Amino acid sequence: MKAQLLFLIPLLPLLGAAVNGLLGMKLPRAVRGGVAVAAVAASFAVTCLLWPLGHGEGTRTVLGTWLAGTGLQADFGILFDPLSASMALMVTGVSTLIHLYAVGYMNHEEDTARFFALLNLFVFAMLTIVLADNLLLLFLGWEGVGFCSYGLIGFWYAKLENAAAGRKAFLVTRVGDVFLAIAVLWLFAALGSVGIPEVNAGAGQLAPAAATAIVLLMLAGACGKSAQLPLMTWLPDAMAGPTPVSALIHAATMVTAGVYLLCRLFPVVALSPPAMAAIAMVGALTAFYAATCALAQREIKRVLAYSTMSQIGFMFIGVGAGAVSGAMFHLFTHAFFKALLFMGAGCVIHLCDEENDIFRMGGVKARSPFVFWMFLAGGLCLAGLPFSGGFFSKDGILLAAFSQGPGWLRIAWLLGLVSAFLTSLYTFRLLYLVFAGQPRRKLHKHTLPGLMLWTLPPLALLGLGGGLLNLPPAYGGGEALHHYLGGLAGLPLVVDHATEFALATVAGGLFALGALAAWGRYRAFPGDQPNRVKGFLLAGWQADALVERSLLRPFKAIGRFCWQGLDVTMIEGILGGFASFSQRQGDLLRKLTDGRLSTYLIGFVWGLLVLLGWFLLVLARH
Amino acid sequence: MIVPLSHVLAFAGAMFFMGLACVLTRRNLIMILIGVEIMINGAGLALVGGSAFWQQVDGQVLVILLMALTSAEVSISLAMVVYLQRSRGTLNANRFKEMSG
Repeated sequence: MKAQLLFLIPLLPLLGAAVNGLLGMKLPRAVRGGVAVAAVAASFAVTCLLWPLGHGEGTRTVLGTWLAGTGLQADFGILFDPLSASMALMVTGVSTLIHLYAVGYMNHEEDTARFFALLNLFVFAMLTIVLADNLLLLFLGWEGVGFCSYGLIGFWYAKLENAAAGRKAFLVTRVGDVFLAIAVLWLFAALGSVGIPEVNAGAGQLAPAAATAIVLLMLAGACGKSAQLPLMTWLPDAMAGPTPVSALIHAATMVTAGVYLLCRLFPVVALSPPAMAAIAMVGALTAFYAATCALAQREIKRVLAYSTMSQIGFMFIGVGAGAVSGAMFHLFTHAFFKALLFMGAGCVIHLCDEENDIFRMGGVKARSPFVFWMFLAGGLCLAGLPFSGGFFSKDGILLAAFSQGPGWLRIAWLLGLVSAFLTSLYTFRLLYLVFAGQPRRKLHKHTLPGLMLWTLPPLALLGLGGGLLNLPPAYGGGEALHHYLGGLAGLPLVVDHATEFALATVAGGLFALGALAAWGRYRAFPGDQPNRVKGFLLAGWQADALVERSLLRPFKAIGRFCWQGLDVTMIEGILGGFASFSQRQGDLLRKLTDGRLSTYLIGFVWGLLVLLGWFLLVLARH
Repeated sequence: MIVPLSHVLAFAGAMFFMGLACVLTRRNLIMILIGVEIMINGAGLALVGGSAFWQQVDGQVLVILLMALTSAEVSISLAMVVYLQRSRGTLNANRFKEMSG
């Protein structure tokens, strides 16, 4: 098997994007979607075929040199090892299903060529991140997903708030990118290489303080892409994009990039215990924050957006606890059930006449039992139904946090437990409000395209059975993912089965408690009862207002001072003052030439008198 | 020289300033021109006086040039006066101020 065939994996989606981007508007509608789906599906097939290349140490291959300079060497190179291979398989697989779904979802849209070109480009950029063998190429893909999310979130740009949401996503994630760029440059300066295996191997040479600083910078970059505190404000707004885009961002691309980055460079991360504690705390706080916000949201997609933030927070706890395989495990199961949930939400929105507000839905189960069962499967995984995929992956992370404690990780573990309870609560709230009872609004009859329906069952199966990917030994599994990742799986985890079962029991109890609480409160629609706490949570703890007040307003004030205070008043004032003074003097002089002969003659006489006076003076002095 | 130079200069100066007074006070273009002629004559007288006093011919030559200049000036000025009288119906100098800045 030729190693360079690996380049087909990212290049096929790029080819699809090029076809749709250059010729899309000339092609029939069916062909546009077909090209996009075929490109990603082919990429998935290539990943499957080349899967053996990823075993063990993996395969590294180079297409050409991108940048070469004094000590710097960045190739178009692919590193296909267990971590990137499994990630690439998930990205291409889930993306294929989402693309198929998108063909059905965007059936009535006008410019699908742009949509599918950007969607394919998104997958290409994500695969660049996943497969890059050096940090600069990774950074290229990192910026690529930023650009594509900008284009896709603001896809319906004719509405200004959608365009603003795209711009916000672009700018907020760019803040994180700056930190990541600094980290990459620092690593190059310290280690003399940007190759990922070289950096990971040479990381031991870093001074402890430098390692901590670099990891914290990388954490900031990951926070931007993965929507963690404090750079999370863009994710709820990103719901302005079409639903397949939300599914793609939340399941297969973009937000997982931050987790993947930290896993990819885990040997560097592991050097700094304080930075790992910081990662765990950021994840735990975000998990808690987003779970509380999700409790009060009214838009179905915003509930899911906050739940994504919360679940990514769990993955960060996993990385912070050193459980790379645990974080990746949760990343995979989350990708399956979150794609399922978003695509189910798209079906629900179609069924409810493009209604997003869950307070105005209700009774969707009777309208489409199929969508209900699919959504329920996703919801149960998210809430952590015992023995579903989400349960095992979340449990693994909490177990790692618990057993690696005490200290900060114990706090992270506690916050994780609370978040797990809240997750169960808001998931069942969503399920009851959307599917239970009678419709709270008159609706037209809708039929959903088959493509939107039949892409759901595979994801439901993957989500529910995802636990088999990495079933812990306590349940008779072999920790397949952990063993497959081998040396990349993070720190070893030593814990006895009694603790493991105890924690699992607690998690199951929290799931049941959340479900019961939601049953008690929402089995019949309680009506909209806004209060201040709900308003606070609905607005995401007023994070937008806080950013507005702490950053944007001072920035605008400085801008206004520079513009009106310095530029207009000082500079233009001084120049304008000079100009108007000269003009006034000119006007005074102009009055002398009034065209009257006598005035000129009097001028002559005055001149004469001055001359005579001068002569008299001269005479008097001699 | 029979007449002392100071007398000549005093007389020339008196002529000059009388002409000047005429130029400044009158508003009629013709009277202003006459005043200018008187001033020029005053200046010419001073030149001739100086020329006689120092026994130098330069001043007298200059006066001849002055007379030629004056005749040319008067002919052009009178032509303008006639033109203005015809086109505007007045010779009041204050009425001609179209050239104001």
